[in-house]
Amino acid sequence: MADVTTAVAEAPAKPAAKAKSKVAERLSKLVPDKVHTWPYLVRLEMLVGTIVMALITVWSIVVDAPLEEPANPTKTPNPSKAPWYFLGLQEILVYFDPWFAGVILPTFIIVGLMVIPYIDINPKGNGYYCFKDRKFAISVFLFGFLVMWVSLVIIGTFIRGPGWYLFLPGQYWDVHKTVAITNVNFAQKFFGVQDPAWSAGIGAACIFIWLGVLPMVFWKARYKKSEALQKLGMVRYQITAQLFMIMMGTVLKVFLRLGFNVKYIMEWKGMINV
Amino acid sequence: MPANKEDGTNPEGHIWRIAPTRRDFVGFLGWGAVLTSIGIGTLAWVRLMYPRVLFEPPSQFKLGKPIEYAPRSVADKWIRAYRFWLVRFDDRFVAVSATCTHLGCTPRYLNTEDKFKCPCHGSGFRGFSSGWKVIATNFEGPAPRPLERYKLTLADDGQIQVEKAIVFRLDKDESEKPGAFLPYA
Amino acid sequence: MAEAKKGWFDIVKSSYVWKSIFRHEYQDTYRNRVLQVSSNVFLHLHPTKIRRHALRLRFTWCMGGITFLLFLILTVTGVILMFYYRPTGEYAYHDMKYLQFDVPFGMIMRNMHRWGAHAMVIAVWLHMFRVFMTGSYKPPREFNWVIGVNLLVMTLMLSFTGYLLPWDQLSIWAVTVGTNMGRATPLVGHEGPFADFLGVNARYDARALLTAGRLVGAATLLRFYVLHCIFIPIIAAVLMIIHFWRVRKDGGISGPL
Repeated sequence: MADVTTAVAEAPAKPAAKAKSKVAERLSKLVPDKVHTWPYLVRLEMLVGTIVMALITVWSIVVDAPLEEPANPTKTPNPSKAPWYFLGLQEILVYFDPWFAGVILPTFIIVGLMVIPYIDINPKGNGYYCFKDRKFAISVFLFGFLVMWVSLVIIGTFIRGPGWYLFLPGQYWDVHKTVAITNVNFAQKFFGVQDPAWSAGIGAACIFIWLGVLPMVFWKARYKKSEALQKLGMVRYQITAQLFMIMMGTVLKVFLRLGFNVKYIMEWKGMINV
Repeated sequence: MPANKEDGTNPEGHIWRIAPTRRDFVGFLGWGAVLTSIGIGTLAWVRLMYPRVLFEPPSQFKLGKPIEYAPRSVADKWIRAYRFWLVRFDDRFVAVSATCTHLGCTPRYLNTEDKFKCPCHGSGFRGFSSGWKVIATNFEGPAPRPLERYKLTLADDGQIQVEKAIVFRLDKDESEKPGAFLPYA
Repeated sequence: MAEAKKGWFDIVKSSYVWKSIFRHEYQDTYRNRVLQVSSNVFLHLHPTKIRRHALRLRFTWCMGGITFLLFLILTVTGVILMFYYRPTGEYAYHDMKYLQFDVPFGMIMRNMHRWGAHAMVIAVWLHMFRVFMTGSYKPPREFNWVIGVNLLVMTLMLSFTGYLLPWDQLSIWAVTVGTNMGRATPLVGHEGPFADFLGVNARYDARALLTAGRLVGAATLLRFYVLHCIFIPIIAAVLMIIHFWRVRKDGGISGPL
């Protein structure tokens, strides 16, 4: 509770025992750490507002917004990039089909974010910064936010060049660069299975193991000893596990693509290609 | 300067103190800066509302060679297109605006009665026989002042050119200013 | 303590007109401090007294407030830009150039709008980050977090629809890439799985809802303009009203218990 009593410059010291009336006296004893909104909060907001206005005005005078050539539907620039805040998704598009990377994954991201308060039932950490009371929640969130989202935006902005190939910073963006890669499906790569039906079956089985079996194995192994899991309950656990495994599965597939040229884990009739 | 009370308030503190402190001064500077920037911003917005380049339809038109117009005539050839009469006197041309100075309707030239007459409220303006100085002066009806005249020049190719953006008003004694008529004998 | 002299300003302040506008005095008393907040239409969103930690920028980062401030800046600069911008294929790019060269301070307005938009996206991410790190979505604030995520989506949609409006190569291709993802939606995208189930085609599918047709063209521009200026801002404003209200109702800025 040390933070709460830190004195803010000019905010009054805690009111002494002598106060205006009996009610105010009792009140000041009950909530000793309250200060008036006016002037303390309002002037702080005014200050922050003034600084933000000043910064954005100076920035706007110094740096011009870009305006390229007029729109030409027949001429596509190379590379053709989405707005920077969507570059994370465009990056994932390299590794997954549009229906997954452009629709399913963003939906899971948004729904997953919304669901957080309902699956995080840890009462600790409410209203202060702390890592050790919330190790799992903070680690997973930092991974998802910094590694999966922010770093992909940075890669998409600075490292991806013409043809969506990787270019080191400072490297010349050669529009004619090509890299020859042959991608094969998971079953073919690791088990040598070429028949599409069998390949799809093995892929589906792997996904089932990843999403269905592994979480249940973990549950069975840790349930008895873990009070957290017991409080969480099966429904919340499943939601958490599915979201977690899908996020990790995305990372795993990226590694399989980059390291082993795996095209799809499972490819079925051109409709469900993961 | 009275000190804060126990609850932190200071009712006797004024911003106009008999002896402002350095803190008051900096405060004045700060607020002065904020208000100045708001004021400048407002002025800048007003300036922003007047662009430097306007894309408006053209107001200069060529009207053909002077010999195409009968001497001593009021030509209504350009009424539909550009809303004025081109009047040829013995020694000059005058472009009389066909916008009634009462409420903006288009008058008619009545040759037999030698006057311009506005159908909306009956304003009447002097006709051809009153001469180049007086023509289109209001004499009856609610019109407050004479019909305006547009600037006339002779273009390089010998055509008469009217500039509707430049206007001459008889009630301001502008009938003899250069451009209010085109000398042509 | 000297007797306060009755100056001309005091006479003004005791006049009928003045007192009809300003309902209370401004001397620094306990009562006036409270009235300053509670009798002000903008400020009475705040409680009259707050817990001390709400003042600590190291704790709150002020990112929620900065996001809202940027929203207001964007609204003002956006309206000013609307005086000169026409959302048609013939005029959009021309009007951008017009703003750049022929309108006094036009370029500054455009820049403030664009950089403000980028700043708002970053600010909203930082706000989400801070709220997560302080666990401020835990009970009783769960639903406010949900509304916050929706506001995040609205911010991204506002930025996306605005991106098309300059109608340059950057705009049209960024939006092409962005909307093409829509045609891959399962069931309602004409190139997604199970497209034949509902019979969607290139003209009638989820992507065409955004692009107003098969191509990113003049119809898309007008649609994005309306989405950007009216439709999404109204939704965002309503969500913000609920969001700020819930902060208050859930007990103010969350702090250590």
